[in-house]
Formats: sequence, structure tokens, C-alpha cells
Amino acid sequence: MDQQTRDDLLKLFQGKLNEAMRFYLETCTRCGVCTEACHVHASMGQVKYIAAYRAEIVRRLYKKYFKGRGKVWPSVGEAKELSEMALDELYDAAYSCTGCRRCMVYCPFGIDTQMLMSIAKLLLVGAESEPEILTLLADTSIEKGKSIELFKENFMEGIKRLEAKVVSKWKMEAGETAIPMDVEGADLLYVALAGAHSIIPAAAIFNAAGENWTLSFFEAVNFGAFVGDPTKSKLILDRIVNEAIRLKVKEVCICECGTAFRVMKQLAGKQPFKVSSITEVHARYIREGRIKLDKNKMDGGVTYHDPCQIARNAGVMDEPRYILKHLTDDYRELTDDPRYNWCCGGGGGLVAMGEDTLDFRMKSSRVKVDQVNATGADILATACENCHAQLDNLNDHYKMGVEVKFLSSMIADALVQDAQP
Amino acid sequence: METLYYIILVPMVYVAFATFFIGTAVRLIKIFREPSHPATLQIYPEKKPRWLWALHDTFLFPTVRRHKPLLWVFLMAFHICILLLIMGHLELFGEIETLQLIPHEIFLGQGFVGLIASIALLYFLFRRFISPVRELSVPEDYYLLILLFLIVLFGSQMDWARRWYFYEELSVDHYREYLSSMLYFKPYLPAEVSDTGHSFMLVLHVFFANLFLMFFPFSQLMHSFLSLPMNKLRRG
Repeated sequence: MDQQTRDDLLKLFQGKLNEAMRFYLETCTRCGVCTEACHVHASMGQVKYIAAYRAEIVRRLYKKYFKGRGKVWPSVGEAKELSEMALDELYDAAYSCTGCRRCMVYCPFGIDTQMLMSIAKLLLVGAESEPEILTLLADTSIEKGKSIELFKENFMEGIKRLEAKVVSKWKMEAGETAIPMDVEGADLLYVALAGAHSIIPAAAIFNAAGENWTLSFFEAVNFGAFVGDPTKSKLILDRIVNEAIRLKVKEVCICECGTAFRVMKQLAGKQPFKVSSITEVHARYIREGRIKLDKNKMDGGVTYHDPCQIARNAGVMDEPRYILKHLTDDYRELTDDPRYNWCCGGGGGLVAMGEDTLDFRMKSSRVKVDQVNATGADILATACENCHAQLDNLNDHYKMGVEVKFLSSMIADALVQDAQP
Repeated sequence: METLYYIILVPMVYVAFATFFIGTAVRLIKIFREPSHPATLQIYPEKKPRWLWALHDTFLFPTVRRHKPLLWVFLMAFHICILLLIMGHLELFGEIETLQLIPHEIFLGQGFVGLIASIALLYFLFRRFISPVRELSVPEDYYLLILLFLIVLFGSQMDWARRWYFYEELSVDHYREYLSSMLYFKPYLPAEVSDTGHSFMLVLHVFFANLFLMFFPFSQLMHSFLSLPMNKLRRG
């Protein structure tokens, strides 16, 4: 690696050094309490998958270039030069970490490994060594934001084709649009994913609840956040913020996508609308009696996988349980304390990287499989696209024999028609 | 030998304390002047009041208690001992009435505080020899533990000598003479401090403590100041 490249990368590193990051970089005592925290370590056993070890890979560079010690006495902290080899290590650490922050529950100081890995991810972007697919997907999202007019027509046509399916789920009164779009002054802007499964059940439930809603032109997922590129994350986020402001909505509802929800909820800053996850909105409908659910639609035990970015990292824990109590009498918890739920193993962009990571995702999530199997449940519900895809893969790979379902589609299937207001 | 003792007991102590105070202050100011993170970093479910739970997390190590109970016992014992030892050292400067609310002999715990601290330090050190903590550790971690062990051992020796072996040549009053003179920048070394049978232990104790203080601001020991704000971040 030549000096110029290294200097450029160190500038990127410097840009990440805010107060919290300095705390995390200065503090670790390497006590090893986090050893049991990571699902990858628990499943595969290698030391390099312990949170403190991952963190140390970033910290060694910090000790070399951002502490006086790095010049005077580098060996005392095993400070390390930024080289091609260091980049390989950073890749290995960052893209085997799903950013679930389970280790943060173990650490006596609360060191956030996901934050530290965001340095690794940014350096990889700077060195053009990141997973290309994620950057490609992020760029596509941004492009779509820039030239929405080009996409609009096609998109609206596609949505029209879905409407018939929504109507089959929920009888509509004549004249109503099953999937409203571009409605100025709507109460709620629903940001979905590119995929019918993310739109049809949601639409049926919104219509059943008599919501004044409108569908966003953009997909919720933020590939910029996966690849650890703050500029791109912001651009992708801004598309939705701008649309919400243009349509003057009161609430932005994010579909079942963990990253999208957390990024929108915590990084959008102060906005004239509130941000909710679709799970929160559904729980609200049930609480207010706007929808009624039929408990007899579900056969067998149901368990719920808390998506890390929605539960542990954004606080939506009671709502899905409240909903499930209206869907089944046989609900089983995966853990006593939802903070300790194992990550599905698909976060941090791993699922988005598809087949490339499949082998690793299966090996690294054995503990998740054991956790689900221990409940003996027949249905494994979740509320995140990534988790769903990963759990589906696990189900096939380990022949778990469960049915992996989205919480929203379970609600849509159980809607009671004559409860229409 | 006399010169060496003098250098360790006077100028080096000043250098060590200056490095410790200035170094720590400069580093903390630098860290706290960085912009704060734009989003919350908390873990849910949240409990209120947040600051109280942050204090709880900082001083009672609940996560260690849950996941590594044996380590927790030693950690708690060690940190309490450190507090008591700091208190004992303050009383070596002169009489501090507020610390004598419950009257006690100088250095609480009849010598057992130092004993417990040394055992805990040995435990911390030896657990680093075992995987996976061994792979996680860097030289700094060993150096600090060894240094601390030596400091506590030689320091406690003097306490033990007075308590358990009725060694009386070097008493609290002599320490007070020495330390208060240092405090007022008029260094004076009583002969009892620098020239009795146990002086070499004192010199070794002070020497290692000097090294420790000089390394403090640049090491992971900054966790003593950063643990609370970090735990506050996790609590939201």
C-alpha cells in the first residue's frame, strides 16, 4: 500500500472519531466477558470471532496512528500498520459481524462493536475492497432517488397489478384504491421493500383499519448502511424524508426491515413526522379496535424472532408480543430476556450478499437453530426481511421443519372481515 | 544508593504525578471535546432513571456478575480494595477528619486489604494465561497487572510489617512528614523513611507506582474515567 492511499484511508478513519468512538477505542480492558456474546463465536468457536478480538483489529490501527504511544512504544498495545494484510483482517472482522450488538449487553463498559466495525467498513470502501454488490445496490437506490420520474411510471404499473391481490385479501368498497400512491396530505407514508410480500399484506391491513395512507416510491432498505458508507446512507435516507415532507404526512411507517427502521428512526434527525415500524402500527390498530384478528387461523406453536435492529437496538419488543397474543394461544418465547436473543446471522449486509455468504451464514448461526428448536414451535415469526431470508435458509439447511413467516402476513391472513369500521 | 533513593522518592514522584494529572486531563479534554454521536447508542428495553442505571452498571458490573460470577467476585473485591487503599494513602498526607468519621488505624482492614488486592491481581494475571483471554490480551494488559501486583505487594509489606510483625521504625508520622513536605514543594526525607531496614521496600513501592502513574493516561486504565459516560450511552 503506498503512502498516498494510506493517508487517504487514515483521513477516513479520523472522520469517524467522535466522542463515542474515542470511548470505545480507548477503553477495552480485554477482560473477555464478551466471549460468549457473539453467535459466530458460539457456533464456530474461533477466537477471531470474539467481539473484543474484532474490536482490537480496528483498535490496533488506532493505537498506531492516533495515539502518541504508536510512535513511542507501539509494541505495548500491539499497534499495527495499515497494510493490505490489515485490510484483509478488517474485511474478515467486519463482514463476519452482523452488527447485532449482543456483545454490548455483555461488555461491562458497553462497547459498541457495530460502531467499531463501521470504521472497518468505511476503510474498506475507501480502499475499494468492500463487497461490490452492496455498493452497487446502494448506488442503484441513490440513482432512483435522483431520477424518480424515470422509474415512476413503471413502478405505478407494477403496483396496479398487485391491487387485485390486495382486494382478494380484503374486500374493498367500489371506487377505493387498494394501493394509494403519491397522495398529498395522507396521514401515513408506508415505505415498503421491492417485493409483493412487503406490500400486499400491509395494504390489506391498512385498508382494513381504514388508514389514510400512501405508498412510498422508494424501497426502505438502506444498502449504504450495510456497506458502512455514511454519505450514501444519508442520500438513501433523504429520498424518503423528502417524499414524506413533500406529501406532508404525519407518520412514516417502515416495513419489516430492521436496518431501514433503525436508520430512519435514529438517524433521520428531527422531522415534522414521526417514525414507526409497521409492527408498532399494527399493534396500535389492534389496541384501538381498528382491526380484529381471528385466533383460529394458526396451527401449532408460534415463536417470534426479535430482529436485532428493531428490538435490542430500537426498542420494539412489547408490540410484536401483544400482536401475537391476538393471533395464537400457543406463543413461546425464544429467550427469557429479549436482549439475549441470538442474531439470526444475516444482518450487516450478509444476506444481501446472497450466495457468497451462504456457507458462512449457515455455519455461524447454529446457535440460532438450537434456540428455535428448543421451543418446539411450528411457526417462526419475525418482522425483518433479512432475518426472514436468513431464517428461511437455516430452515432448509438444518431441516428445522418450521414455517418462517412475516408477522404482517400472519396478521393479514387472520383479518376478520366483518369487523370493518 | 542515597542519590538513587532520593531521585525515586522526590523528583521522580513529581514527574510521575505531573504526567498523571496533566496527561489525564489533556486526554480527557481531547476526548470530551469531540462531537457527540448523532444518534442514540442505547440498548433496549430501557429503564429509568437512566443516570441511576448507568451508575449501577458502572460501579456494580452487573454484566460481569451475570456471565462471569467468579471474575465478578475478584473484580468487586479488587476495586473496593483500591478505593480503600487510595483513602489510606490520602491519610498518609496528614489527618483528614472526614475520613476518620469512623475512627480507625491508618490503612483500614488490618493489612487484609492489600492481601486481597494482591490475590485478586494474581487471579487477573493468571486468567490471562488461559484461552481465550490469552488471545485477546496485549502486552499492556500484562505489564499493568504485573506493575500493580508489585506496587501492592511492596506497599502491603510495609503495612504487614507494622501490623503483623511489630515493626515500628517507620511509622505513619514519618510518612506524613515526608508526604506533606512533598505536597508543599519543600521536599524533606526523614532518615526513618530513607534509611531504615524497610526503606528499600518503600523505594520499590514508590518506583513502581511512579511508572504506573506515568503510564496511566496512555493506557486502558482510562476506563476508570470513561466507564461512566460509556455506560450512560448504553442506557440512553
